[in-house]
Amino acid sequence: MLTGAVTSVFGNDINTDDIIPAMYLIKSDDPEYFATYAFVKFDPDFRTRCLKSQANIIVAGKNFACGSSREQAVYTLQFNRVVCVIAQSFPDIFYRNCLANGLPLVTLEDTSGLALDDQLEIDLDAGLIRNRTRNTSHQFQMKTDDRRTFQAGGMTARVRAHLEEILTRQG
Amino acid sequence: MGQTLVEKIVSRQAGRPVSSGDTIDRLPITKLFFNDVIGPPAIKGLANLFGETFKRHGKPVQVFDRRRIFFIPDHSVPALSVEVAEGVDLMEAFGREQGVKVYREGDGIEHVVLIEGGHIVPWDIVLGTDSHTCTNGAMGALAFGVGTTEGVYALATGHLYDFVVPETIRFELTGTFGKGVYSKDLILHVIGKMGAGGCSRRVAEFVGDGVRRMSMDARTTICNMAVEMSGRTGIMPCDETLGAYLKGRAQWPVEPIESDPDARYADRMTVDLSSLEPMISFPHKPANATPVSRVEEMIARSQAQPTPDFPAVTSDRITDAFLGACTNARYEDLVEAAKVMRGHKVHPDVSFVVIPASRKVYERAMDEGILQVFIKAGANVESSNCGPCFGSHMGVLSRNAQMISSSNRNYQGRMGSREARIFLASPATVTASAIEGRLADPRKYL
Ligand code: SF4
Repeated sequence: MLTGAVTSVFGNDINTDDIIPAMYLIKSDDPEYFATYAFVKFDPDFRTRCLKSQANIIVAGKNFACGSSREQAVYTLQFNRVVCVIAQSFPDIFYRNCLANGLPLVTLEDTSGLALDDQLEIDLDAGLIRNRTRNTSHQFQMKTDDRRTFQAGGMTARVRAHLEEILTRQG
Repeated sequence: MGQTLVEKIVSRQAGRPVSSGDTIDRLPITKLFFNDVIGPPAIKGLANLFGETFKRHGKPVQVFDRRRIFFIPDHSVPALSVEVAEGVDLMEAFGREQGVKVYREGDGIEHVVLIEGGHIVPWDIVLGTDSHTCTNGAMGALAFGVGTTEGVYALATGHLYDFVVPETIRFELTGTFGKGVYSKDLILHVIGKMGAGGCSRRVAEFVGDGVRRMSMDARTTICNMAVEMSGRTGIMPCDETLGAYLKGRAQWPVEPIESDPDARYADRMTVDLSSLEPMISFPHKPANATPVSRVEEMIARSQAQPTPDFPAVTSDRITDAFLGACTNARYEDLVEAAKVMRGHKVHPDVSFVVIPASRKVYERAMDEGILQVFIKAGANVESSNCGPCFGSHMGVLSRNAQMISSSNRNYQGRMGSREARIFLASPATVTASAIEGRLADPRKYL
């Protein structure tokens, strides 16, 4: 069960340049480095809001985190204690990057029932968001494979097992 | 039931017939490349994630197939900082150790040099750690941008995991372009119609007479921008033009491919190329596209109803122009832009940066006197790299800047200050605007 507060509500087509501008990518290969510059050009207050809460949830419109394939966007969110993003849709590259890193993404067609400061409980197994602030709940669909990958914190264990197979075959 | 290009390529690689919606647990890929932004962390990631596994098998860390992997330093080279220089060093050392090809700084942009070098062929499944990897779809290949971790997985095992075969939208192009109208205008038009998320989770397949008549340079521009409508990728069939392009160039066997006439598509759109005029995309997203004849209307609209991704534009004045990037700095792009430039000067208020997309393009343009046209006109011609497109190198924008660029993204802050405004257009339109110091129609120069 994921719990947290909605600390950001965004519109449609937020891109990964908005989340972490390109110029910071070449400054470090430490995943934690980018957190300081989260949304620095788009929403400079983002980090301050995140620091106030132990677990942050982002609510967004359509096509959240489109554009550049930079995985640093995922680290930027994770190291700001973002535990889940709920959006109307996600483009593939970001979705796959989140699968690889175990940042759960929930697709919810109508996000209008979720607002800033709402306390949410997200049950991936049941496909249910409980809004503790408003006493409402929302159902969502998630592919079983994806749910397992999110819950396992990523795909690396599976890939390791595959590599084992390959190396064993090579002898 | 017939198959789309995507279904065909995945079926062959997966070793069984698949259709859209199917999940492939482990999909073998055929080509993999990294740039200077993601290459260094990926090399470290390979050791971090899989070093132990290799060790247990008494083996050194090794890549899945050294002939299929490429490293291309292009984003911030010649190195703009110590960190970048050390990243390039790391890629070079890794290349020597693993026997993997590493390009030199200045050889050009990843989505240009591999195609030029004949490394990408039809039926390939290409992964690149960059969202514009979709450019390679013009080669009849299935090409996906991935993040660092998926790049590292592929480096170790040569596979993509949990791959869902996407649906395809078919874009049928008919007719021929009018004077001063190019494939960039077509793709800006299409993105404007589809919207930033309009092709989400789907592949954009471009077919028809319009495509058949296009050169490879023109085709790559279209596939390059499929991701700007959130397409999973862009792709085109392998026809005679592509076959001729690959002759004597391809490093791998070439086999034609096209979709079946009865393939199933999620949607279709037809565009008559002769109906288009030069297009300009307004800040802050490529989907804010307008025909050049309607620039004034668009400015008025931006002032009447500004939004975060369509801010108020107060004038059509241009302070900076960029002819470059993986979208539009190939040989033909420079030829067309030089036609506009010849006999004119860059406007005194404009900084015009011209960056050929690869060393080969640079050399040819130099030999044919094309670079000289820009240099004599007062442009800054730089060695091949991503330039201002990446926002940290060779022409970073101030808060007062209004830039017109031949690149593919005009996001807020993409090229420098968050206050700067970026417009996207074809090389000809960029050059005409650099001459006039305002958003301009290139047709009167041709
Ligand atoms: S030119 Fe721009 S879009 Fe193309 S690879 Fe470089 S940074 Fe990315």
